[in-house]
Amino acid sequence: MCTCNKKNEYIPYPAKIESVKKESFDTKTFRVRFTDKNLAESFQYKQGQFMEVSILGVGEAPISITSSPSRKGFLEFNIRATGKVTDAIHALKKGDALYLRGPYGNSFPLEELKGKNLYFIAGGIGLAPLRSLINMVMDNRDDFKHVKILYGAKTPADMCFADELEVWKKIPDTEVWLTVDKPCDAWGCSIGVVTELWKETDVHPENAVAIVCGPAIMIKFVTLALKKSGFAGKDIIMTLERYMKCGIGKCGHCNIAGKFVCTDGPVFSYEQVKAFPEKEHVI
Amino acid sequence: MSKMIEKKKIKGLLKEAVKQWHTYVPQKHIGGDVLIAPLPEEAKELEAALDNISLADDDLVISPKDIFFPQLETMFKFKKGEIAETVESSPKLLFGIKSCDLKGILFADEFFKRDFEDAYYLSRANERLIVVIGCINPPRPGACFCTSAKTGPFAEKGFDLQLVDNGESYFVETGSEKGEEFVAKYSGFFQDESGDAEKAVNSIKAKAEKAVELKIEFQKALDLMANDDFIPEEKYKRIGERCVYCGACVYTCPTCTCFNVFDNAKGDEGTRVRIWDACIFEGYTREASGHNPRNQKWLMACRRYEHKLKYDKAKTNMSGCVGCGRCLASCPVDIGMSKFVQEITEDKKIM
Ligand SMILES: Cc1cc2nc3c(=O)[nH]c(=O)nc-3n(C[C@H](O)[C@H](O)[C@H](O)COP(=O)(O)OP(=O)(O)OC[C@H]3O[C@@H](n4cnc5c(N)ncnc54)[C@H](O)[C@@H]3O)c2cc1C
Ligand code: SF4
Ligand code: SF4
Ligand code: FES
Repeated sequence: MCTCNKKNEYIPYPAKIESVKKESFDTKTFRVRFTDKNLAESFQYKQGQFMEVSILGVGEAPISITSSPSRKGFLEFNIRATGKVTDAIHALKKGDALYLRGPYGNSFPLEELKGKNLYFIAGGIGLAPLRSLINMVMDNRDDFKHVKILYGAKTPADMCFADELEVWKKIPDTEVWLTVDKPCDAWGCSIGVVTELWKETDVHPENAVAIVCGPAIMIKFVTLALKKSGFAGKDIIMTLERYMKCGIGKCGHCNIAGKFVCTDGPVFSYEQVKAFPEKEHVI
Repeated sequence: MSKMIEKKKIKGLLKEAVKQWHTYVPQKHIGGDVLIAPLPEEAKELEAALDNISLADDDLVISPKDIFFPQLETMFKFKKGEIAETVESSPKLLFGIKSCDLKGILFADEFFKRDFEDAYYLSRANERLIVVIGCINPPRPGACFCTSAKTGPFAEKGFDLQLVDNGESYFVETGSEKGEEFVAKYSGFFQDESGDAEKAVNSIKAKAEKAVELKIEFQKALDLMANDDFIPEEKYKRIGERCVYCGACVYTCPTCTCFNVFDNAKGDEGTRVRIWDACIFEGYTREASGHNPRNQKWLMACRRYEHKLKYDKAKTNMSGCVGCGRCLASCPVDIGMSKFVQEITEDKKIM
């Protein structure tokens, strides 16, 4: 046995699925609670962090915590079925076990966002990590100024958190703007990629921070649009995605430049990303 | 310095040491390769193994990193949802490793300790004693460049004991209290030296330094790589085009520590294991969506050089390359760290 009495970070803790909610045609939200009561109660995390979520015998995957630290006792993960682990998680039901370790990574800089106008700009499942911060903001609404949520997905069926988008809309000083690439008959909102929403609503840099999450290509175009609107690099915040295996700066996979996305990120400002002496495709 | 040990006494010493330590010694294997492996404890097997130990300047094809970071390692077992940790911890004696590999181990120690601690590595490496045998002749002639990387052929610190080959015997240098205790404990095998040992040792070391023929401008390479604007894309491309992505350079390198993780299961019982991975493989960064940020050969190839020469140096002030020359020695298409350094310092061209 280990002679060091430190915690072994690679050992996950059992948790139970309390509910499963289908969000879009390929994503589900899993609400889970650690089996260990003390752990469930004492567990702390920050908005923007992720956990390594696993099924024993299948494997692990890094998944953002989509619930807000302001809502305690449980954790929520919004997961798209896209491969071995995520497909297997989708096959699970209420009462089944998941194994979790974390939380890992840095977080959205909450303090720096206070007193600011916030633009949340998300594509597809990119709303999942932002939702943690959005609900944190909604639960402390007075600390922040105007909030605009710009959300784009491929089709209406790809939109996540439909109920919550309705809830947020009704909160004072909060706007929700939606767009889809390909509409269906009942669609009442805009059509086109998320940057199309610039035509419909003001995106203004004054006292504002934009928080962006989505596929790499979407982040790239949104960043361009934000810069064109006058946002400084430090006021554009994004979460990066990289293949990950350990989540703790050891396996090497997630490295960009001299950084590990798992420990130095996943939240970076555009200013930081721009300074990476990188030749590879960062965003 | 005050002790020496006769070469003919080494076997006896190891026989004793095996009782207390898992003793890792370079041994000749079938086929002739010399690999560092544990000595068996069973008397007959031990005798046979001791006949095969090789403490000359042999090429240890695989670096000793696998003693603390095995190529394949079980992280935990599980059965019906219950997890049982499988951390190994035993006292280990590394007898006869080279000075570059000592540096490699010290480098890996720091890496696995940094930020989140790696319980597996640290537990394996927790109790150990390292006996370095300095190289009189480079084990990989034409590939070793320890004198340029300032990692050998003799170690300056970090060892518990260092042996200096003096023909029929070794001079013994002590580098730590643990080393001293070891000599005291097995004092019967050691003897006081006579004559002017210091002078003799210095002259042996000076000769050994000269024997390392390959000299490259390593420091200049580190300085170049430290500059963010220095991106030798053409050179990376030439390397990338030649590399056959076999992984040999990564697997044999003492400081490459990347791994992958997967589960093995039958029913509700199984293990989670980790296995060495290589940044030069195409799948290393390929995400589930198919998106691969490092999707060109040259991007995969350059990663290794940048990581070791640029990022490791920036983060730890230690170069991530210890000059052992294994990458060049093992590469089927004759690429290696020294060749890259020669390229960027415009010493020689690869092709
Ligand atoms: C910080 C972070 C947060 C994430 N948050 C979410 C989220 O909230 N919801 C969600 O659905 N997805 C999220 N992802 C993506 C998710 O991790 C991958 O879709 C998932 O790992 C795919 O695993 P798989 O076994 O199903 O696919 P496979 O293709 O079978 O992948 C095998 C293994 O490769 C690694 N891997 C493959 N693709 C990725 C990837 N894109 N990112 C990281 N590792 C990968 C994982 O270790 C995975 O187990 C996040 C990724 C990162 C890096
Ligand atoms: S990069 Fe090559 S020379 Fe440097 S430590 Fe690794 S194997 Fe040895
Ligand atoms: S040993 Fe040579 S061919 Fe093989 S991966 Fe390394 S550089 Fe490429
Ligand atoms: S995920 Fe392993 S180093 Fe970042």
